Amino acid sequence: MASFQAVKKSLNLAPTVRTLPSGVPAAPLLNLAARAPADHHGHGHSSGPRVDAPPSWAGGVSKSHFGLFTKTFTTAPASKPFQQRLLHTSAVVKDAPDVPDYSQYRVKSADNSRALSYVMVGTMGVLSASVAKSSVSEFLQTMAASADVLALAKVEVDISAIPEGKNVIIKWRGKPVFIRHRTQAEIDEARSANWKTFRDPESDEARTKKPEWLVMLGVCTHLGCVPIGEAGDFGGWFCPCHGSHYDISGRARKGPAPLNLEVPAHDFNDAEGKLVIG
Amino acid sequence: MSLSNTIYSTIFKRNSVYVASVFTAAFAFGIGFDSGVTTFWDSWNKGKQWKDIRDKYVQNDEE
Repeated sequence: MASFQAVKKSLNLAPTVRTLPSGVPAAPLLNLAARAPADHHGHGHSSGPRVDAPPSWAGGVSKSHFGLFTKTFTTAPASKPFQQRLLHTSAVVKDAPDVPDYSQYRVKSADNSRALSYVMVGTMGVLSASVAKSSVSEFLQTMAASADVLALAKVEVDISAIPEGKNVIIKWRGKPVFIRHRTQAEIDEARSANWKTFRDPESDEARTKKPEWLVMLGVCTHLGCVPIGEAGDFGGWFCPCHGSHYDISGRARKGPAPLNLEVPAHDFNDAEGKLVIG
Repeated sequence: MSLSNTIYSTIFKRNSVYVASVFTAAFAFGIGFDSGVTTFWDSWNKGKQWKDIRDKYVQNDEE
């Protein structure tokens, strides 16, 4: 068993490394209860001062008139000139030792930290305003027409190729559009009619931007058939489905059609001789 | 007067100026962010977009 203890001792750490929860160093192989021998230097050699005897300044026994007198200095007097120890590990004496030292955490300049606080708040505001603005504008852009719709929204027609007194039918947004290059006689006829008595009273001036060009949606206002050009009782258009008659300005004159033929938004590009519908 | 004091007294002191400068900065930030992202996108996709390779195809038409 002794050899086992020796092996254990040689392999393990030093016996006093471990500490008990109470703070006492745990030294299992060290006998702290051992006492010094009673004759404390009694092993034979004689002459000379005893090395292990305390020096006279540490106290000791002296003889007086009253008997034996024992004196022990708990603090030994300095044996050499006093030296101030500048490096020490004792606690610094403070005014109020219970209050922690917050001087490390105090700001150096109150102005700087105030400005920094406002800058941080303002940056937060800038970022959130940007986010809100882009959210709203992105949401609104989902309602906007997409590029393919916008590309089909306008139609350009070269009207210089249309001779006087002829109809041209083009397709615009999936619907037919009538373009009539009217003669002067047709214009006079359209403008001289007493339009106030019509079913859908509308003057020819209000329906055309240029008197010789009549642009209308070719959809009958009754049930959506496509009227036939240069037909009908009024020299304009005639719907074959239910017999609505339109005059040379596209106004409903006879039959079940309740309204005039619709005039789409259009514009003339005189420089290139083009008509832009849409 | 230090720089932080100058900034405080010009921008932060009045709330109206503060809010107005925040909105102005948000507007400028939005524009800058958009253009920055666009520039990065164009440089990242250099040579792949139609505006980069348009010269190869359109020069023959001479419209």
